[in-house]
Amino acid sequence: MAKGTTEKIRRKAMGLTAFLIIAGFGAAAGSLFHWQILRGDEMRAEAMEQSLVTTSLPSMRGTIYDATGTKVLAQSASVWTVVLEPAYIAGDEALRRTIASGLSEILDLDEDEIYKATGEKGSYYNIIKRKVETDVRDKINQFKKDHEITSGIRLIDDYKRYYPYGTVASNILGFTGSENTGLEGLELYYDSELSGSTGRLISAKNALGTDMPFEYEQIVEAEDGHDLVLTIDETVQSILEKYLAIGIEKFQVKNGAVAVMMDVKTGGIVGLATNPNYDPNDPFAILDEKTAKAIEALPQDQQAEAEVAALQNQWRNKGVSDTYYPGSVYKMCVGSMGIEEGVITETSQFTCTGGVKLDGVKDTINCWQTVGHGTTTFREGLCNSCNPWFMHIGSLLGGEAFCRYREAFGMTDKTGIDLPGESYSIYHNFDEMRPVDLAVESFGQNFSITPIQMVTACAAVANGGYLVRPHVVDRIVDSDGNIVKTADTSYRRQVISEETSQLMADIMQQNTYSGTAKGGYVSGYRISGKTGTSEKVAKHAEDPSKPMEYIASYCGFAPAEDPQYALLVFFDEPDRENNGGVYGGNAVAGPIFSAIMQEALPYLGIEVKYSEEEYGQLDMVTPSVVGMTIGEAQAKLQEDGLFFDVVGDGDDWDNKVIEQIPESGSQVPKEGFVILYTQGYDIDNALVEVPDFFGLDKVNASYLAAVSKLQVSINGVQDEGALAMLQNIEPGSKVKKGTVITLTFANNETTEAFANIAE
Amino acid sequence: MPAAGRTARELERPPRSPARKREEAAKGQTRKKRRRRIQHAVFSLGNGLDMPLFVFIMVLLAIGLVMLFSASYANSYYYEDDSYHYITRQGGFAVFGIVAMLLISTFDYHRFHQLALPIAGVSLVLLMMVLLFGRVLKMESIAPAEGVATRWLQLGPLGFQPSEVAKFALIVVFAHMISLYADKMGTFRYGVLPFVGVLGLFAALVFLENHMSGTLIILALGAILMFIGGTKPRWFILGGALLVVMLVAYLAFGGKDDAGEGGVYQMDRISGWLDPFGDKSGSADTWQIKQSLYAIGSGGLLGVGLGQSRQKYLYLPKPQNDFIFAIVCEELGMVGALVIMLLFALLIWRGVYISLHAKDRFGAMLGLGLTFQVGLQAVLNICVVTNTIPNTGISLPFFSSGGTALLMLLGQMGILLNISRSSNVEKT
Repeated sequence: MAKGTTEKIRRKAMGLTAFLIIAGFGAAAGSLFHWQILRGDEMRAEAMEQSLVTTSLPSMRGTIYDATGTKVLAQSASVWTVVLEPAYIAGDEALRRTIASGLSEILDLDEDEIYKATGEKGSYYNIIKRKVETDVRDKINQFKKDHEITSGIRLIDDYKRYYPYGTVASNILGFTGSENTGLEGLELYYDSELSGSTGRLISAKNALGTDMPFEYEQIVEAEDGHDLVLTIDETVQSILEKYLAIGIEKFQVKNGAVAVMMDVKTGGIVGLATNPNYDPNDPFAILDEKTAKAIEALPQDQQAEAEVAALQNQWRNKGVSDTYYPGSVYKMCVGSMGIEEGVITETSQFTCTGGVKLDGVKDTINCWQTVGHGTTTFREGLCNSCNPWFMHIGSLLGGEAFCRYREAFGMTDKTGIDLPGESYSIYHNFDEMRPVDLAVESFGQNFSITPIQMVTACAAVANGGYLVRPHVVDRIVDSDGNIVKTADTSYRRQVISEETSQLMADIMQQNTYSGTAKGGYVSGYRISGKTGTSEKVAKHAEDPSKPMEYIASYCGFAPAEDPQYALLVFFDEPDRENNGGVYGGNAVAGPIFSAIMQEALPYLGIEVKYSEEEYGQLDMVTPSVVGMTIGEAQAKLQEDGLFFDVVGDGDDWDNKVIEQIPESGSQVPKEGFVILYTQGYDIDNALVEVPDFFGLDKVNASYLAAVSKLQVSINGVQDEGALAMLQNIEPGSKVKKGTVITLTFANNETTEAFANIAE
Repeated sequence: MPAAGRTARELERPPRSPARKREEAAKGQTRKKRRRRIQHAVFSLGNGLDMPLFVFIMVLLAIGLVMLFSASYANSYYYEDDSYHYITRQGGFAVFGIVAMLLISTFDYHRFHQLALPIAGVSLVLLMMVLLFGRVLKMESIAPAEGVATRWLQLGPLGFQPSEVAKFALIVVFAHMISLYADKMGTFRYGVLPFVGVLGLFAALVFLENHMSGTLIILALGAILMFIGGTKPRWFILGGALLVVMLVAYLAFGGKDDAGEGGVYQMDRISGWLDPFGDKSGSADTWQIKQSLYAIGSGGLLGVGLGQSRQKYLYLPKPQNDFIFAIVCEELGMVGALVIMLLFALLIWRGVYISLHAKDRFGAMLGLGLTFQVGLQAVLNICVVTNTIPNTGISLPFFSSGGTALLMLLGQMGILLNISRSSNVEKT
């Protein structure tokens, strides 16, 4: 047997060992130095990045209150997002089936799709439904409990936006998208204030995405959003929307409408109703049935496009995003300019011959009254809404002064209202303004402004000449109730003097009382108003074969002696072919203006002051006669100068009255009557159908009411020529005999329209 | 000279003088001789055992078990629902292995002279069983496949890699042959031909398992033993050249087709080695390297602390297996990693030292073979984990999870200890 080792073996073995250790471990140590020391930070960062998972914690979006601070217009409430974690369940066929069938039933989703989703082994987060409410969450939890499902389905906290008043103020409020971000209206404009800041939870996760057993968590708390308190008053807003809808219905308005009411001293918008509107709880549904039907009738391939257009249209705030020719309403500004600049006085005279022929213009620019108004004072000119009178003022002012005042009234800048999508106005610059442009702009045609610009200018005429900053948010309040920001109610500038302002208010009040703006008359209040009937010249020029379309508007303020609120109502394209031929500002917008003011002013705390004449025509309060015998009731009513009639058994005067129409405490016309109902009366015999009073004068309306055993209460213009424009109970509805129908009257004179502007 | 009993050296040492021998023979003490043998068997566990080697083994094993517990914790917890899954198994095998090591250390290694051929035979049968059940019969229950490789054999409750047995068998057979041909190793007939034949057979069988790293280690071990044993260096140049040609041919012909499909997985591993954070870092092997480097880098100089690894949380796949050293680097830092490398170096040094002091050629070659096997595996594993060389499936001795492998390792350490008992190493 060989000896253990030789020197040769020893040398080779030692050499190899040294090589193995030095070369092998040396290289490895070099690598360690490279990766741990030289690139250690980089590796550590990469490792951290892959193991740290950031979960966002939703913040509660702020609430939107109306001006009263108590009515909630928009609020967020907890909802849940249903998330599948397929990685935990993909291997369990039976469980996948159970989950697919269970969830599809609870969430109303396609079973096959859920089943497919549960099979994605690599996925740990698959949202299958967003914003489920408490009842659905409870069902899911019960389902998990029933089937002992511990992982695979997760419910993640989220918030959903609710708008308790539905469509009310929808075009102001806007709505939010799926990620709680504002998409329209205030929700968009004040998104950063409302949304607060999303919190973050940073935690270490293993490669499966579940928590590591050791603690590594860093929380950045979510900060709830601020609340908004608006200048919008829900009651006023509802009044505006109600009458706007009535007007659209009554006058067959084709292209939407706006009513905007402003506090003339602060610039706060009390109400801003636009039509079309939508329900922000379901903004992607087309609210207008006619539009929805029209889209359905379209060929399949055009529906999607039409739907998008319709949605854009209903989301649009016509009050700030649309421009229009203000028409004769603008005369209140031009008149103010003339007086302020001293080129005219209240008693200045001008002779209207029915039209003005300018050099270089082919056709004569007509007054709406083509025979002319003759020689009138400025006061009369405004009350006549005489176009040549205002072209005269324009020429006296000259382009430079006209443009200066136009700018001062805010017609050339955005108002800066806190709503998204405000449009720029379109007008002729001084440099490019021809005499004809000046003449036509002087009575409000051929330049476009937004309704909000017009009402702001009107407020300046009303409040002593100060141009305010229109706004809808009064203050922003944080979640602890501290005021973060209040609206800037300072004036931008003084446009006209207080004296001019007062004079204009007085002239405009006369205009409403006895001029061309009688449609806006409100019994008990002194209204300063101006009508406008703007021709949509550009639209007509595009297709002259179609008749001219008009915008009927009415703008004014009240009370005239101490103006508080300005209101602009405008209807875009009343369909005169189908509505009985009315399209003028006085006939269409006037009664709506009147009805809104009549309802809103008492609510806003403006005291009623009847003139003697008004007081005489005032309705009286119905006395209570229920529970008396017919005889006693007759005596009581006679005392108040009222008549009576009996429905049921009226032969025996000892029969008790069980019901009376009008009810006790409600309004009844002077010398009107009360219907007494006795025990066992025949209900069919007691009901009558409400007739259509539209277009009737006062005498005929009263006669028609009497025939139907109904009574009328007169609202609006009291003149002989006035016609019924609105009735508070729909024609065709059944009411009990004796019911008082309130009719709003207006003159159906079409003023301010003019012709022959050929560009 | 220690008081307790007599050393192995003394036991084996020829009598000092004929007079004394005679004296003892006169006493006719066969009874006494038997008693001494029993005494030897019982008390010589520490008797003649090379203490430094034993300490290095035990320290590495202890650190290895602690690190295995730490590294396997997350996988045990998430996949086995029991945080102690791996450590209890490994711990059990370790205890069993230590007992086996100590027992084997009393088993005279010369018996392996007779056992060399039977061991080689059994090993070849096992290798062929893997191929039979895995490749031909496709019986997954007996020879489960891992990806492209089939290297496990499951016989009842016992699961092991026959290639591990083959490495041991090769060492024993080569040690046997080298000691047999001692002076004729310089000739082609004795020093090359039979060795190449045996080595080729083993390497081919392991290669057919698609077990690349096993093949390489077997080839390297065989070459090292032949070289030390006395085979002329020129044959290694020839063999090395031949091997390179074969390797290039294998990689070239096994390469991907134009569509990027098929091909040998080794190419992927080489591209992953060259660019661990590249586009292909999603593929399993490269992912493993990438996560390994994240772990190593996270450790820095001093480590994140024992048990504090982040990467073991399912990012680094199977951290308890081949890539356990990455977790060591992460938790104990560069300093800890260097200490462990130093321990391995000391173990290798001591093993070589013992072997070179063995009193016969067989003991020397057997000891060197076993030492180099551990050393090669440790060096290659650490180089793989640190991305110094391409990824191959080599486990880290004393650390990586695997009960039967640990058992075999400790058994082999037992043989080394036995060599130390009978060698002329100075005892401490």
